[in-house]
Amino acid sequence: MSATAVVVRSDVRSARASAARRPVAYGAAALATLVAVWWLATAIPGLVPTRVLPSPVDVVVRFGALIAEPFSGATLFGHALVSLQRWSIGVLAAIGLGVPLGIALAWLPPLRAVVTPAFELLRYIPPFAWVPIAVLWFGATTTTQAAIVFIAAFPACIINTQLAVSQVDSILVRAARTLGAGAATTLRRVVLPVAAPTVFTGLRIAFGNGWMALVGAELIVGKQGLGFLISQGQINDSAATILVGMTTIGVLGALIDVVLQRLQRVALPWRPASAKPLE
Amino acid sequence: MAATASARWFDAAPGADRTLPFWRREPGRAQWLAIAFASLAAMLFAWFALTRPDGLISPLFLPPPSEVWEAFVRLLKRPYLGSTLGQHVGASLGIVLGGWLLAGAVGLPLGIAMGWWPKVRWLAFPIFQILRPVPPLAWIPLAILWLGIGDSARIFVVFIAAIVPWVMNSMQAVDSIDGLLVRAAMTLGASDRQILTRVVCRTALPTLVAGARIALGNAWTTLVAAELLAATAGLGYIALNASRTLEIGILLVAMAIIGVLGALFSIGMQLLTRLVAPWSRAGSSA
Repeated sequence: MSATAVVVRSDVRSARASAARRPVAYGAAALATLVAVWWLATAIPGLVPTRVLPSPVDVVVRFGALIAEPFSGATLFGHALVSLQRWSIGVLAAIGLGVPLGIALAWLPPLRAVVTPAFELLRYIPPFAWVPIAVLWFGATTTTQAAIVFIAAFPACIINTQLAVSQVDSILVRAARTLGAGAATTLRRVVLPVAAPTVFTGLRIAFGNGWMALVGAELIVGKQGLGFLISQGQINDSAATILVGMTTIGVLGALIDVVLQRLQRVALPWRPASAKPLE
Repeated sequence: MAATASARWFDAAPGADRTLPFWRREPGRAQWLAIAFASLAAMLFAWFALTRPDGLISPLFLPPPSEVWEAFVRLLKRPYLGSTLGQHVGASLGIVLGGWLLAGAVGLPLGIAMGWWPKVRWLAFPIFQILRPVPPLAWIPLAILWLGIGDSARIFVVFIAAIVPWVMNSMQAVDSIDGLLVRAAMTLGASDRQILTRVVCRTALPTLVAGARIALGNAWTTLVAAELLAATAGLGYIALNASRTLEIGILLVAMAIIGVLGALFSIGMQLLTRLVAPWSRAGSSA
């Protein structure tokens, strides 16, 4: 930034460090202003009723209360645990079916023509539109919630796996064949390791989609879970409960993604994802 | 001889590797269509066969195609839940387009500003980072508490769902512009405003439209969920009521209309991309 021709090295370093700190300072200032406005709006009596927007302090107190004692059948941890359980069932089913099917679709092109009509017919129906019929089919059970998670996560699994496998450089495949590898060996030793990072990125999208869909499903059916918690907050006119629930949903969703990113770096360190995944 | 015979009954696409067995080869266009149609026909036949009166699936689980068709005709002819089918579709469309346009009116300028002026980005980006992991649907209870179960609650939720892609895509579009273009314009004497309107916004157009497409998709998905919770008209409202009264035919018709409209939105936005930015590969960027 400085215009002087001769700059001492330490000056450059500190200038760079402060340049890197500036965005953080701006962001912190913006967030602090937001919280301050929120607090002021609720602190001045009569400006915003507590029913509409509780003060930040109220939300923190409510958070403590929800952890300590059960609300609508479970503590905050209990609701979160139920949600995570439903989510993992649905997501694991989507991966278990979607990844092998995606590999098959990329490896056997005629199969793609077989499933494309069904896929195109169903893909524009949002996951939540399945909730009413899932309730009829499975009742208000964990299966219904898990089915919605599955429907939300499955397309991302299958599309990105297929994309990853079909983008594997055909030279690698031919080289393996020339060197005497059979189809199974080529698939296991060449195609899958090369495709794995992109597949994993697709799975991350699937995990996120599944989490979002679960919240929607829990709002509509069920007797426990984080989505149920916030809908109960609405029925009981408790905006603080809703805000605690929303925060928990957001934090858990972000946490899931961070864990998966770490996992990707540890488990598949050899190459970054090659293709831009589809959402 | 054998090779040509097999090539005739399974016509590979041009450029396909003919040394591969047929199940590993990309089928040609005619073959592809034939397989797809056969698959579609098989699915329809399975639906007919399984839902016959003596079939495996009870009509309470999945009604036969004839019943779904009757439900569709009935919806067209008579009002259902106080509105005609056209009014329900209109209610859904009005809210989704309203929320989407409102989000664009706020998100597009904000995103462009965030991409162009670093200070604006430093201020606004952390707020979006914090809001982004919260699913738009999680705002529904709060929206109902604040705004009641009227249209405004649904427009608010659709707005929340649509604004993130609007902002993120416009920011990225402006941010990733080649600095050379900007400097060339500067050298040629363009003012800041000319650069922003004539160089930056025009170069960023394909990505901006892609953002609009994603925003519309999100808006539609979210609206359906919002209508399941708080509405007095709309396709999601039909679906939930039909499920409660066990009118599965009507439920399936509502789902199908939701899917068709979602597809039309996607196709429409791709056409729009081709129209306003014909030089881009239409709708291919995410």
